[in-house]
Amino acid sequence: MRRTELWRHFDFWLLGAVVILSVFGVVMIRSVIAGNIDLAGYDRRQAIFAAIGLAVILITTLIDYHLWSTLAQPMYIVVVALLVVIFLTGQARFGAARWLSFGIIDIQPAELAKIAMIMVLADYFARNIHSEKNLRWILRSFAMTAAVVVWILLQPNLSTSIVIMVMWASMLWISGLPPKYLIIFLLLAIVAAGALFPFLEQYQQERVINFIFPNPNARHGDNYNVEQARITIGDGGLLGQGYGSGSQVQLRFLKVRHTDFIFAAMAEEFGFVGTVVIVGLLVFVIIRCLRAARLAADPYGSLIAYGVAILIFFQTSVNIGVNLNIIPVTGLTLPFISYGGSSLVTLYFAVGLVESVAARRKTTEDITGA
Amino acid sequence: MKWLSVSRFTFLGGLLTLFSLLIISRMIAIQTGPVAEELNNWAKSQSYERRIVYPERGKIYDRWGHLLAGNKIVYELGLELRQHRNPQSIALTLSSILPSLKYEEVLAAAAMPYDPAKSAYITLSQFVDEETKQKIETLKNEYDQVNPGGKNPNLPSLNGVVWTPKLIRFYPEGKLAANVLGFYTYANIGQETGAQGVEGYYNTLLAGRPKEMVLPFDPYEMQALPDIPPGADLILTIDREMQAAVEKILDRAMEKNGAKSGTVIVYQPETGEILAMATNPRIDPNRYGSELTTVLPKNMAYNNAVSTVYEPGSVFKVLTMAAAIDAGVVTPDTTFIDTGGYSYGGYVFRNWNQGAWGEQTMTGCMQHSLNVCLTWVAVEKLGKGKFYEYMEAFGIGHRTNIDLALEGQFPFSTPLDSNTWQSVNLATNSFGQGVAVTPIQMVQAIGAIANDGKMMWPHVVKGYIQDGRQINIDPLVVGTPVSAETARTITKMLTITLEEESFSNASVPGYSVAGKTGTAQIPGEDGYYLPNATNASFVGWGPSDDPKFLVYIWFEQPKADSWGSTIAAPVFPPIFKELVRIGNIPPDDIRSQLSGR
Repeated sequence: MRRTELWRHFDFWLLGAVVILSVFGVVMIRSVIAGNIDLAGYDRRQAIFAAIGLAVILITTLIDYHLWSTLAQPMYIVVVALLVVIFLTGQARFGAARWLSFGIIDIQPAELAKIAMIMVLADYFARNIHSEKNLRWILRSFAMTAAVVVWILLQPNLSTSIVIMVMWASMLWISGLPPKYLIIFLLLAIVAAGALFPFLEQYQQERVINFIFPNPNARHGDNYNVEQARITIGDGGLLGQGYGSGSQVQLRFLKVRHTDFIFAAMAEEFGFVGTVVIVGLLVFVIIRCLRAARLAADPYGSLIAYGVAILIFFQTSVNIGVNLNIIPVTGLTLPFISYGGSSLVTLYFAVGLVESVAARRKTTEDITGA
Repeated sequence: MKWLSVSRFTFLGGLLTLFSLLIISRMIAIQTGPVAEELNNWAKSQSYERRIVYPERGKIYDRWGHLLAGNKIVYELGLELRQHRNPQSIALTLSSILPSLKYEEVLAAAAMPYDPAKSAYITLSQFVDEETKQKIETLKNEYDQVNPGGKNPNLPSLNGVVWTPKLIRFYPEGKLAANVLGFYTYANIGQETGAQGVEGYYNTLLAGRPKEMVLPFDPYEMQALPDIPPGADLILTIDREMQAAVEKILDRAMEKNGAKSGTVIVYQPETGEILAMATNPRIDPNRYGSELTTVLPKNMAYNNAVSTVYEPGSVFKVLTMAAAIDAGVVTPDTTFIDTGGYSYGGYVFRNWNQGAWGEQTMTGCMQHSLNVCLTWVAVEKLGKGKFYEYMEAFGIGHRTNIDLALEGQFPFSTPLDSNTWQSVNLATNSFGQGVAVTPIQMVQAIGAIANDGKMMWPHVVKGYIQDGRQINIDPLVVGTPVSAETARTITKMLTITLEEESFSNASVPGYSVAGKTGTAQIPGEDGYYLPNATNASFVGWGPSDDPKFLVYIWFEQPKADSWGSTIAAPVFPPIFKELVRIGNIPPDDIRSQLSGR
């Protein structure tokens, strides 16, 4: 394939939407951290990460995604190794060991694991696309996933574990999981959730309980964050209070507003209209990923693009769901907008993979030429 | 697409659509309609603070504009628990600079864990003066150069130590006129108020009008605190120089005579203005917290001049004689034959030396302070009706309403009070026993004699400055108990007395002055007079032809001697000399030359 053709099928719409979202993210971070000494400079850092991310997209596009297929095994081993290392020696931060420090930058191996698992699982399902969809096929993929998830769960990092499990389940589904297994698994999952609940960390249990039975008197504690998020979103109204003028945001009643609750901050300053535009852009990104999956040249590419779409979709829906108090609090960030270097660069890498798939898609010319 | 099921893609698309719809419906629910309004109000209520802003307290000046009470900047020293990393260094440095801070206490405070809800800031010291703050600031900067931001916990650092300026009450002259000024309880955080003296009496005026303000937290909406007008400044009638001189003389006399307390009032008869009012003991209002209990004896009033009642004794004879002359029942030359005793109401009244003084004019009666004579005047010449009419006119038994906190008063029994008044009261009252007055009551009453019969309201505030305008307090005539002629006659009688009195301790060279001593026994708790305990008083005014000053002196239970003539009277000349010097009143001969020209 010649270079010019590569760029002909490059999805500029996808790239454009991602760039707009990232710029908006930086702008929003700038507003929410205003005046906070501890968070000073985070907007600039996020912008630098976004710039790095753009380069990552372009480089990943240039690399033929089939290369990752051959690297599947070593990549898998490296990710598990990193997770084991962080489990054994990782630094404790916010009560959980999640970061690996490499001099100037800290990396969250769990973020890497998400992408690696997309590629590893896509490789597995693509190789076995024509084999029989029996229990063995399911359990092998489950074992591969569980071997990674267990270390993340031990960090403890429930939300990323759930993300990876959801990705596994969806890829299993799209690869042709027979419906009878789906029903069995759903039942099993519900039973497992009930059985495992007592083994969750206390703060995780409390979050779930607080979600189901909110305490109306709790002001500063348990459901303070979601309650403030609700006030913040409501304060936005139709058109918002204006950039940098949301009192809930600027006066810091809204907590963790540069990551988990950036959606609420956005809703206060830009209102219903602004929020719908952002949600629309995120949905657009997901649709473009699904489009790439549909047009991919082979099952492997298709599964990669599909996996990325699921990743973005799940993170978006969970994050917004938490902000709107539809689901319990989990620490998932809003893709492309929340602050977080590892998360952003990982997402850009994922988009790069999708672009790589899209660029090498089967064209009408190829079809007619064949 | 043959390898991936299209229907499963469609299923996914359906999920995505459903999710988007859920989000949007939820957003509509929260962001529009009554819920949004409610949440909006809630957000607003969190973004403002209601705060009461207090104006700067008004200053107090003497009559010439010298500052007697002002405000100065001090610093509240505190610790931001989040910012420091070296508690030992902070404790060591601060405890060595500020003696009031103990090393262990600071260390314990600094070692407290940071908790934004409970302990984020700790007040270490409320009132740190400018100089000390400067010292701490210099050290903090020096440490910061070696150890930027206090990041290294092994190097000394004062990171986290902060100071906030605030105003406190300050009395630059210390103890001067403390009894007149009162004090401001600045150290009782949250309950600051003016107490005693003018600080107490004019508290509302000095405090100004606090303003309630709605302050947005939002830095973009931040507005400067508006200039709210400070409290009114007071201009006292007190003359700082006279006050200082009087206090000095009083303190020296107290050292010699060992009295329990001493009081001097200097009053301008023409206007009722108090030029000086000194008491001993008195506190330094800057240290009111400790000195109220250590300097002032228990049960002693903060300002005896207005708050304490006592039996004045013979100084009261001035009023009795003034009444008799004004009523026309006697003249200065009316004679009385003193046989050394006078029986009335079942009691026999005797003179101070138990002696019989033979034939005496009224002037002589006053000169020798004869109880027997004055009893005769009150009982036989005036009669109880006239006597109590005059005493009522002199304001005996009533407050003067001087503008100082906590003026005292004791009810004066008259024949109308059938329960408490007995006929013997008329006799004892005539020479100042069985009647309790405050020094300021006596000053006001006798002030009428020194001001041609016009009794002036005593006051210590000449005017105040509010919102940039000066409002003067005008002199006020509160009564004319006697005629001008009577007043001059009494002054003349008492001037002669002073000149001729064999032990005229009270005369002042170059000036003719009128005056009267008084010695009274002190009733104990059982109602009987205590042995060897007296109140020694003296009242004097001058120059006799045109009185500029009236000086009232009272020593409570002097130890060196018991007589007004030996204890109180000798204090008058040095005070009067100082008054005419500071007030630029030339001696009599020079004044007569000037007026003759």
